[in-house]
Amino acid sequence: MTDSSSTHVFQFRPTPARQRERYAFWLFRAATYTILLCGALIFGQIIFRGASTVFQAKAPFINTQFFTAAPESLFVFEWEGQKRSMGFTEFQEFKAKNPAAAALKAETYAYSSGGIFPCIVGTLLLVVGSMTIALFLGVSAAIYLNEYARDGHFIRFVRLAILNLAGVPSVVFGLFGFGMFVNFFGWGYSLLAGWFTLAFMVLPVVITASEESLKAVPKGFREGSLALGATKWQTIRKNVVPYALPGILTSSILGIARVAGETAPIMFTAAVGIRDKLPWQDLAKPSDFFFQAVMALPYHIYTVSSKIPQNEYTASVQYGTAFVFLALVAGIAMTSILLRNNLRNRHKW
Amino acid sequence: MDSPRPAAPSHFLANKSRVRILGLTADDAIKVFFGGNALVSIIVLALITIFLFREGIDFFGQNRRNLLTYRQAGLEYVDFIRSQTEDHAALTRYVSDLRLRQLNYLLAEKKLSLADANTALARFDTFADQVGDAITPVRGLVSDLSDQATAIKTKFLVAEDKKVERLQLLAAGKTAEAAAVKIETVDFDAELKPLTGILPAYREASNELRQKLEAALAAAPTVLVPELASRMEKFKKLTHDYIATFPATQNRLETWDHNRPVPWHQAFTGFVFGREWLTASFWQDWYGIVPLLVGSLMVSIVALLIAVPFGVGAAIYINQIATPTEQRFVKPSIEFISAIPSVVLGFFGIAILGQALRALSQVTWLFWVPGFPFTERLNILTAGCLLALLAVPTIFTLAEDALNNVPRAFKEASFALGATRLQTVLKIIVPASLSGIISAVLLGLGRVIGETMVVLLCAGNRIAIPDFTAGLGVVTQPVHTMTGIIAQEMGEVPIGSTHYRALFMVGIVLFFFALAINYVAQRVVQRYRISIG
Repeated sequence: MTDSSSTHVFQFRPTPARQRERYAFWLFRAATYTILLCGALIFGQIIFRGASTVFQAKAPFINTQFFTAAPESLFVFEWEGQKRSMGFTEFQEFKAKNPAAAALKAETYAYSSGGIFPCIVGTLLLVVGSMTIALFLGVSAAIYLNEYARDGHFIRFVRLAILNLAGVPSVVFGLFGFGMFVNFFGWGYSLLAGWFTLAFMVLPVVITASEESLKAVPKGFREGSLALGATKWQTIRKNVVPYALPGILTSSILGIARVAGETAPIMFTAAVGIRDKLPWQDLAKPSDFFFQAVMALPYHIYTVSSKIPQNEYTASVQYGTAFVFLALVAGIAMTSILLRNNLRNRHKW
Repeated sequence: MDSPRPAAPSHFLANKSRVRILGLTADDAIKVFFGGNALVSIIVLALITIFLFREGIDFFGQNRRNLLTYRQAGLEYVDFIRSQTEDHAALTRYVSDLRLRQLNYLLAEKKLSLADANTALARFDTFADQVGDAITPVRGLVSDLSDQATAIKTKFLVAEDKKVERLQLLAAGKTAEAAAVKIETVDFDAELKPLTGILPAYREASNELRQKLEAALAAAPTVLVPELASRMEKFKKLTHDYIATFPATQNRLETWDHNRPVPWHQAFTGFVFGREWLTASFWQDWYGIVPLLVGSLMVSIVALLIAVPFGVGAAIYINQIATPTEQRFVKPSIEFISAIPSVVLGFFGIAILGQALRALSQVTWLFWVPGFPFTERLNILTAGCLLALLAVPTIFTLAEDALNNVPRAFKEASFALGATRLQTVLKIIVPASLSGIISAVLLGLGRVIGETMVVLLCAGNRIAIPDFTAGLGVVTQPVHTMTGIIAQEMGEVPIGSTHYRALFMVGIVLFFFALAINYVAQRVVQRYRISIG
């Protein structure tokens, strides 16, 4: 067998062209896996270093204080010959207990103790509000584009606007939000301003995703319904949207990842560096809820990575926050990608 | 036919009576409602334009007043003389550089001890001192004049503020209080007398400077290192050039007139071509976009130079070469990278990548790389690397789409003619999808140039045009960017100030940049699409 095949006419013979091909393919392969490696490296670093803040060795294995407390300053001082570090409240108690400590000179690091609970709450509020607005506007627009509109100047114009809106830099959305909502409408730094700014930013994503899902509903569904005498609206309500809805929602999750991950648009519309009260505390009237600034995870990361020094005391909160935020956004994105693949396989009309 | 048909039960009949709202049936109203929502994206785009211009357009008027004050208060006059001292400072830097080179040579090549080397350079040092000290009288003038001009400017600005205050009081109907506001009118002619009166003294000082420099040059020592002789000659030439500018400076001072109007276009050209962005300064604010624009472009170019080979290479690999299993795994993974929030990437740059790159640059056997070693850990390169990672998923996804759209027949025909897979990929598939790939790269550029957090955290935030004489090493210098400056300064400026408006102008520039990139990307796809016949 070996002897006969070695002289076979169709036997593989290395030629210079094939050799070059192999090298070139390895080059392409290397490019691909370098990208993945870089991505994995960043995830790995943040997760590896952040894990020590987020998890702990003893039950319940999760650092609950980090998730439930508000940020505090960290005080580092020398006490009885050894370095001690504690958060602001703890330090106050410590001073009350040890009168000798009153005159202590301590180095302070802002934000470096406590937790990030208000930031998580703020981010969730921003995401829920802006996605509600964006879904409402986006799905309606997609229904119009896919169900009602006939190709014409108006539709081409709308599509052009959507395409261009998708390319506008996020910081320009921030400027626009500041100029219109914060300044012109006089809402100040507020949840409402942040909601609208973020909603407008993510609108193209939602519209495109919704339109794709609506397109995937077979034409026969509509024709069958119309043939039975249903009106256009009845058809859309009963026979189109329900089948497109899972697709709309899963694709829109990608929009959520975008909304949660952006910093620039909320920097001057909704986010503040530090705020003592939680959003539902001390409201003079219910409408004040919408007109308050909030803390947000991305802005908090910006604050702790640019406004305080990098050292052993600040690293834990920096990496911890980054870890939580990355896990949150990556989790959302992962869900979206998995669900989408799942959906593609399931619905084959 | 004649037997009457039994009437259909009423609930089978469609309800013919339609409610009309504003002359529309319910179905029409619903259609209009949805159409209105489709309109939102147009409205938002229009609103963005309107509000950017609403806040930004006043910049030109305010900047013109800013420039007018600069002239009227005599700051411009002082800056003429100041530029002379600055040019002189450049000369002294050249001399000290020359001394350092000689010292290094003496220490390294001649193996002299430091003390001996310094003694050997004693004659050069007296020469350097002569050159350095020559400027003293002019510098003294400048510092006196600066104080005077600042005083005039402050006086003028206070008076302007008072005027605004009075107008506000009048608007509020408080006439008595308004009358009580004392406004000092600034008589620029009188105020500027002492300033312009300095001219004879300046002439003297400038003459003295020239004589001293010429004397120093005449007595210039020969450099101890023959290789540096050409530098000494260059220095002599530079000094002569410098002296030759004196009459021009004097002429500018003599013909200077604080009443000369500032033309309108100067407020515009000062922004578009201004090489300085200097705010909240005690002397004079400048709003020139060039350093920011150059910073943004440099960072984007570096990012694209890294991202394009990787993104397009990966797209080719996944679309043409990889096995289906690899495809199923790699495609979502690269899409997943785009989910990393930019602020986390920025933090990664500050905390890890910046230090890693700096450590890498200080490895001795890598010194041949241009720009290495560097000391600033946050620079164009750091930001560019991170932005490349942001741009890769965009470029990859779109380029892969473009490759996917190439008809199978192209590939099959190529194989049938005996081409290898590599030949098919490089000579058939890639050229056929080139327009799509180019538009992918352009959209990647749009993504990168509009990115804020990474450049804000990692580009180094030094507002200056990088020194291009460093060649390729320019990428290791810190810069500031258009997006970065908006994010950094927007929170701190008083609303309505010139600075605030300038930031909106930068926003307008960014906005139109993004629109232009989008437009070009679309045109490329439309125009150069291959005909699939």
